[in-house]
Amino acid sequence: MRHRRTVLGLGLLALGLGLTACTGASGSSSSSTGSTANSTDKPGGTLQVVQGTSPDSLDPQFSYTTQGAEADDMVYTPLLQYAVKSGTAGTQLIPGLAAALPTVSSDQKTYTLTLRPGLTYSDGTAVKASDFTHAIERACKISWGGKSFYTGYIAGAAAYDAGTASSISGIKTDDSTGQITITLTQPYGAFANLLAFPSSAPIPSSTPMKVLSNTPPVGVGPYKFGKIVPNASYQLVKNPSFAGFKIPNIPTGYVDTVNVTKNTNTNTEAQLVLNNQADIFDPGDTVPASVLSAVQSQAKARYQTVPLASTYYFFLNTQVAPFNNVAARQAVNLATDRTALARLSSGSLTPGCFFLPPTIVGHQNGSCNGADPNTVPSAADVSKAKAMIKAAGLAGTKVTVWSETRSPRQEFCAYFNDLLNQLGFKSTLKVIQDTVYFQTIGNQSLEPQAGFADWSQDFPNPSDFYLLLSKAGIQKVNNENFGNVSDPKIESQLAALLPIPATKLSSVATGWQTLDTYVADQAYVDVYGYQTAPKFMSNRVDFNKAVFNPVYYIEFSTVELK
Amino acid sequence: MTDVVLGSAEKSADPTGGAGPLRLALRRLRRNRIALAFGVLFVLIVIACLLAPVYAAHIAHTGPNTNHISEVIKVNGKDTNVVSLTDLPIGPTWHSQFLLGADQNGRDVAVRLLYGGRTSLEIGLIATLITMIGAVLLGMLAGFFRGWVDTIISRVLDLIWAYPALLLGVALGVSLAVGGLSIGPVHIAGGSNLIPALVIGIVYIPYVARPVRGEVLSLREREFVDAARILGYGRLRIMFGEVLPNLSSTLVVFFALQLAQSIVLEAALSFLGAGVQAPNASWGTMLADGVQDVTASPHLTLVPGIALVLTVLAVNIFGDGLRQAFDPRARIRVER
Repeated sequence: MRHRRTVLGLGLLALGLGLTACTGASGSSSSSTGSTANSTDKPGGTLQVVQGTSPDSLDPQFSYTTQGAEADDMVYTPLLQYAVKSGTAGTQLIPGLAAALPTVSSDQKTYTLTLRPGLTYSDGTAVKASDFTHAIERACKISWGGKSFYTGYIAGAAAYDAGTASSISGIKTDDSTGQITITLTQPYGAFANLLAFPSSAPIPSSTPMKVLSNTPPVGVGPYKFGKIVPNASYQLVKNPSFAGFKIPNIPTGYVDTVNVTKNTNTNTEAQLVLNNQADIFDPGDTVPASVLSAVQSQAKARYQTVPLASTYYFFLNTQVAPFNNVAARQAVNLATDRTALARLSSGSLTPGCFFLPPTIVGHQNGSCNGADPNTVPSAADVSKAKAMIKAAGLAGTKVTVWSETRSPRQEFCAYFNDLLNQLGFKSTLKVIQDTVYFQTIGNQSLEPQAGFADWSQDFPNPSDFYLLLSKAGIQKVNNENFGNVSDPKIESQLAALLPIPATKLSSVATGWQTLDTYVADQAYVDVYGYQTAPKFMSNRVDFNKAVFNPVYYIEFSTVELK
Repeated sequence: MTDVVLGSAEKSADPTGGAGPLRLALRRLRRNRIALAFGVLFVLIVIACLLAPVYAAHIAHTGPNTNHISEVIKVNGKDTNVVSLTDLPIGPTWHSQFLLGADQNGRDVAVRLLYGGRTSLEIGLIATLITMIGAVLLGMLAGFFRGWVDTIISRVLDLIWAYPALLLGVALGVSLAVGGLSIGPVHIAGGSNLIPALVIGIVYIPYVARPVRGEVLSLREREFVDAARILGYGRLRIMFGEVLPNLSSTLVVFFALQLAQSIVLEAALSFLGAGVQAPNASWGTMLADGVQDVTASPHLTLVPGIALVLTVLAVNIFGDGLRQAFDPRARIRVER
């Protein structure tokens, strides 16, 4: 999970929406066996991975970054997990340590799962159903960044977190049968997604209630942690017992060891992979423009940009002039040259104009307001937009564009500021330090009119994005709905769409598309693209076989040395 | 003033042939060809920067903040992207448009260089004026009155001096960048260039005030001050009518040296995001914008870097020439 910040408040926002839960989402596991080796497989060897940023922690109940999830995904298999596949298929929930997808009660508040039999941790300790309770309690106790998802929905979790209860009353387990029953405070359609967080993965009940970044607990997964040098490197070593569990659709891994080393210089990082001195470039980093052309010419077969579920947009405050006027918003959307903005990102952004990004149910690739965002030369019409602003009597209105300092976000906003001036506004740019940017623009007293915003998925569910455009998202401080979008039509459509269980999302894809089209028509936000990540590997590895999952990025267990 | 106590007999014995101190200084300055050359260079830089709007409108045909990300221009008869698909901006074309290349947003570097120079010089000049006025007032008060006035002023100056200039500048600059500064009815907006000018001006006050105080401590014991007292002049009249004119040569030299320091600090603060606010150009912000692509697009750092070095070198060497001209025996140093 790559976040522009923690989602501590987001769970509470979701709570405010009054979501309804999954309906009977039970299912059986697939018959295919990802654990079975083919005759062409070449197991063994050591994989060298370079990362620009170290994981925030390797402790599954504490880590909350992409780099952390990438590692924990290999060591801690949750009850449910995402299919080990690329693209949208990789957002499909499949059973992990649970024998099947959950059974949901008719009131959509009780989820029941059963643990697969015979599971052991990498140290040989048997996995018990009550270990799941310990994992959730531990995530609350040591303050995992997303713990509000648990405290907001699992009955008794808030009381446990507040210290007024000794355990979470809403989780009942039976170690003899392996049954786990979770009771929610209210229906929540995306709850199954929460069960796929590495933080929900069972860990031994003897694991202490403190952050163990340097000596993380044992887990059940294709790999276990080897040597860890804090903030410098860590090692994943193959877990020999995992293959024996024969969990369908979950690969057991090819290489014996994965060495992950931090290298903060992305230039060096890229050169190492280009020269085959390292095997995997950190997908959380961007290949520098200075190396990109060499990569594209010399390593075309082992470089690819993969679209992520991450939307980049300019927020437009719909409660403050001039963007309380739909004509102003539509004019700005019409004039935005999305291909130009994609250039500014060194190719790490793919142009788009709809709010829901790729791999998320409801995403569309088409045109917005009749203009295709991918057209070169751009379909952006500055002259028409300028005329619209003039006709609306908004020319000369003062606008402040808020921006972060980091590149390319500041460049995006410099472009946007220039565009607004071209359209006839009197726009100025206000650049805020990255560390306080979102808190600043989330403060309603400043009445931010427009500026940079982005959102990367917490989990692959459109509801995770639409919290940002719902009435419940509007707050005085720490506001997430920067544009203060409050539209009864959006609210009514969300009321119908949000209760749909995560396992049945595809059945309401059209409904999400309709809502997303409406948002684009109203120009509530000025979406200009979706983030892409580089899949860049050395020629030592089988590039095509390696899976780039939209949630966990590079699945190390699918990377094979040639 | 010194002239008051000089008798006519002494004047006739003057080996300089009766020339005043200013004329003598200019005569010495004229003999210092290197200082003069750099002085001329500085004047040329100032003129070029002042002509930035003319260059932008009639030669480059673009503004300093105008983006040209998707545009294609002809370079040697060939269509060339101003910004490549991988965000590599065009380098120097040696044509009227994009003479020194473009930056990541497709903005004309030459235009931004000239506008940035205006900003840097403007901030440097205002900051230096603030420093000099503040330093002269405080230094004169402390040196002339001595006692508790000196103690309080000196300790306050020590307090400011205790912080490294850059760190203090960054702290003040960042804290004022968002909300601006409000003093009574006066409000300076966060993005205004007056903010960095004020910050730099204040930060450097102790560096000039202390030497001024030392000079005043010495001057107040001189005979012409005693003479003024005997004549019944008030303290303020002695300070501003007798002492201040005798500080003029020191202040002229300090002004030049301080101008160079202020320009450098402005560039440093802007580079660190605590000075001039984007998208406004200054040499510091241009360096900051270019440093991320220093290998692929070295012109983005070289162009403002060279301009900064040349300007500071010019001011410093000319300032040093002024120092030698006004008082060849003096050991004026801006303490750092």
